[in-house]
Amino acid sequence: MLLSMKETILVVGGGIAGMETAVQLKALGLTPVIVEKNSSLGGHVAQWNRLFPDMTPASKVLDPYNDALKEVDIYTDTEIASINSLQKEYAAVLSNGKTLRCKAVVFATGFKLFEAEKKEEYGYGIYDRVITNRDLERWFDTRSDERVPAKPAAIGFVHCVGSRDVKAGNSQCSKVCCITAIKQAIEMKELFPDTEIYCFYMDLRLFGKKYEDFYINAQRDYGIHFIRGRVSEVAETIDGRVQVKAEDTLSGKPVKVKLDLLVLMSGIVCDRANNELARSVSLPLDEDGFFRSLDNIAGVTCTDRKGLFLAGTCTGPKTVPETLAEARSAALNVYQYLKAKKK
Amino acid sequence: MDFGFTLSPSSAIELDTLDSALYRKLCRIEPGARTCIGCGSCSATCTAAEYSGMSVRKLLLGLQRGKKAEVERMLSNCMLCGKCTMVCPRGINTRRVILTVCRLYDNVEGTL
Amino acid sequence: MIDRLANGFDPFVIPFMVGMIFVLTYCGIGFLVILFQLSREDRKRFLLSLVNPVTAWKNIKDIFLNCLIHVKLWKRNRMLGFMHSSIAFGWFMIIVLGHLEVWLFVPERIRLLYYPIFFNFFVAETETTLQGAVFFFLMDFFLLLILVGIGLAMIKRIRSRFFGMRRTTRASLLDTIGLYSLWAIFPLRLLCESFTAHISGGSFLTVPMNHFFRWFFGNELNYLPTWWAYSIALGIFMLVLPFTRYMHIPAEMLLIPMRNAGLKVRHPRRGFARIQVLSCPGCGVCIDACPMSVRKENLKDCTVYLNRQIRHHNERRITEISEKCLMCGKCSEVCQVGVDGPLMRLKQRELKKYSINQHYRNIRPDSFPVEGTGKVLYFAGCMTHLTPSIRKATMSLLSKAGIEARMMDPDGGLCCGRPMLLAGRQEQARELIRLNTAIIRSSGCDTLLLTCPICYRIFKENYKLDGIRVVHHSVYFNELIQSGLLKVSKDESRTLVYHDPCELGRGCGIYEEPREALLAAGNLVEAHQNHAESICCGGSLGSLSLNYEKRREITLNAFENLTAEQPDAVVTACPLCLNTFSHYADRPVEDLAVVLDKASES
Repeated sequence: MLLSMKETILVVGGGIAGMETAVQLKALGLTPVIVEKNSSLGGHVAQWNRLFPDMTPASKVLDPYNDALKEVDIYTDTEIASINSLQKEYAAVLSNGKTLRCKAVVFATGFKLFEAEKKEEYGYGIYDRVITNRDLERWFDTRSDERVPAKPAAIGFVHCVGSRDVKAGNSQCSKVCCITAIKQAIEMKELFPDTEIYCFYMDLRLFGKKYEDFYINAQRDYGIHFIRGRVSEVAETIDGRVQVKAEDTLSGKPVKVKLDLLVLMSGIVCDRANNELARSVSLPLDEDGFFRSLDNIAGVTCTDRKGLFLAGTCTGPKTVPETLAEARSAALNVYQYLKAKKK
Repeated sequence: MDFGFTLSPSSAIELDTLDSALYRKLCRIEPGARTCIGCGSCSATCTAAEYSGMSVRKLLLGLQRGKKAEVERMLSNCMLCGKCTMVCPRGINTRRVILTVCRLYDNVEGTL
Repeated sequence: MIDRLANGFDPFVIPFMVGMIFVLTYCGIGFLVILFQLSREDRKRFLLSLVNPVTAWKNIKDIFLNCLIHVKLWKRNRMLGFMHSSIAFGWFMIIVLGHLEVWLFVPERIRLLYYPIFFNFFVAETETTLQGAVFFFLMDFFLLLILVGIGLAMIKRIRSRFFGMRRTTRASLLDTIGLYSLWAIFPLRLLCESFTAHISGGSFLTVPMNHFFRWFFGNELNYLPTWWAYSIALGIFMLVLPFTRYMHIPAEMLLIPMRNAGLKVRHPRRGFARIQVLSCPGCGVCIDACPMSVRKENLKDCTVYLNRQIRHHNERRITEISEKCLMCGKCSEVCQVGVDGPLMRLKQRELKKYSINQHYRNIRPDSFPVEGTGKVLYFAGCMTHLTPSIRKATMSLLSKAGIEARMMDPDGGLCCGRPMLLAGRQEQARELIRLNTAIIRSSGCDTLLLTCPICYRIFKENYKLDGIRVVHHSVYFNELIQSGLLKVSKDESRTLVYHDPCELGRGCGIYEEPREALLAAGNLVEAHQNHAESICCGGSLGSLSLNYEKRREITLNAFENLTAEQPDAVVTACPLCLNTFSHYADRPVEDLAVVLDKASES
């Protein structure tokens, strides 16, 4: 049964989840509309430089969407002012004044990166030589950030900043920071072969395809030091370097080291700005603040509300391939939902 | 008949026979103590660490593994400053752990 | 007026006499016991103060103003004040007037304890005189006053919000018996005096009621059962009084002279502590004041319940309440009687026995050489190492003002000792004090600068640092601004609110200097409850048993109070408050030093 070309589907968010969902929906003969609150599409991946596990440039993932989304309606710099559920469809009022009537909505609102200023003891925003993982990725792209020194003698990576930390308001693991840290450590070692690089971790979570190889290479080929101990305090030395205090739990001794650059692995946390939106359509939130799926095993992209679907990191931390897979799954869910409605 | 050499006692920790009465009492009073992941933030930030090797992580580990004697030495310099409690990512009330162990060390069955 | 009964006695006075003799004996013995529980010097000091005309006059004045008029309660809420003062003062007056009546009209009966109370039964009015009319009028007037108060008390049980109290104390069984018998006394007095008003005389209240009763009943003998009821109500009230909150009536009269004599709490259960516990009227004002009361499960941990548990010797609950307390001081701030809640709890903590006692013998003060020559020594303290923005801003401000300063603990030092003190470990705290004092003295400084109010308080109260000025950075930087050494420019677009840290505000009485300094940097609004009534942030080290999750609601409540006037940012003067608020804040939270640093030029 062919579905009418006028079946409009609202896709909230123009990151990779939103874009992939829209591409798939279009291929299925539906009419997706992307609403993105920032000025450009691409979400967080647009701020990344290279992606694990194959060091794929982010542009390689993002560029194909330029063509694929050519005939898709996209509203940037636009937010959803309100969504009302009518009897047979949804009516979304956008911040540019337009009202969109759609048969289904896919939420691809993504995540927020933990604001590292909140962990004041690490000195982000206070000391000159402390940056986050996102700052470092931007630097890989632009090579301009006055916080990154020209010839660092020692660099440190702090895992789990804003993750697994009730004091930071997020007791969950952010999944991708460990592999990102090792990836970035290797990239820095390639740029500065004589630099000593230290990774301070609580646990190393390297669950994905070829992730363990990263770790092995980091140890064997790049000589990166892994210290099992959570950094508790960072102080500034007289010459502007940072001094890090941790416990090397494997030997049970305290460690101190002076670094020229400290990179904080900010975690993936929920974006509380989405709460209002979720409340207006009675979409439940999970205890961790992310959107709640219908079922965490077989219904991750579905919700208990008719016609509302989820894709990507709005339900929790995910890798890029997992996000793309969910986006495709959500598109299929929408298609099957509309088919069932027609009957 | 011994052949002239003795066997030194095993340094292995025997999980099924060790004495963990103090640990179990502690966990009843402060259940959070069970959630320690041994990250070491408490040890790293401790004011007294450089004088006595004080570490809440080691304290909990020592109690779990039946190494009560080390615990006393470590606790000797604790100043109750509270930095460990502030940094613990699992939200354990480490000051309460310390005070409870200090009170019940010789008197596990006693009231607090 | 003449005696109606020749022997001046009727069996109905027995319940009253039993109760009266019991309560007088109990209080008499009780007060002697407390007196002997004091140390010898304290006892001597107290007895001397009683004969000293200055303190004697102050005692009388304080007893009158606090026990009878309840001046402090009037200031809190006028309805509450009126309710309590009408009952207390009214009852006092009818007792005094009753004695006056006996002395004037039937002086030979003055030795009988019950005569003034049951005057209207035993004495008949032979002729209407002006003197008699005046007395009867006054008696009726004060009885009416009391009855209004009792009426309000009944309303308060149902709708305490009319009296500005969200929550009120839950009564125990004996308290309830005492309450109902107290409530019964005065309506019963009205009833029985009205029944005999045609014989003994009365005034605007009792005479009309008398006419009504006689018209209704017609039988003159009905008055005796009412007098029995009145006496029984009095008897029951006085029998239960020593075991209920109403013990505060006699106890406060001993507490006030003891406090005016300058006595301090020494033992946690005996002497001055005991009289404080007994003086608690169970009013429940501390319940709303306690920052923990936002959580229902903590409602039973307020000072009023601690006092009750101490009286019941419930060790488990005493320990639980004492160890949970944030030691913020708000309950003692609002207490009508002056029970020092935090101090009582601290004393209970000192009772605990420990198997492992810390010592610092292996730490040598000369292993902390303080380098440099600046006269201002800055002690950051444990907490400030976890809030480096304060440290950096402080050093920056000092250099901008051209002050030669150096840090005592740039790489971490010893704890000031106050957390140890608050946990009741005095000996350990003293050792830390000794070590730190040695380090400070050897540095040769003349000013000790603190950014943490917890450190500031112990350095001020417990350290002996003669010749060295101990100052908190809010006061110090304010002085630099006022004297022009520090140039700060005001940002008119920014509204700030200042949070009074418990240790700096209620603890040390510093409220205005931080505000003065902030006004130089931005516009200031106030929290709904501020200054001495500010709400604790919830992060206090004073609590030994509250864990992180349980403190969340306390912090959120305090934050809501702070942001009531919609400020752009919250300013604190304490690193612990800063850390606690920043976990949940929806707008910037900054320390005073950081705000000033941003607003000053290099």
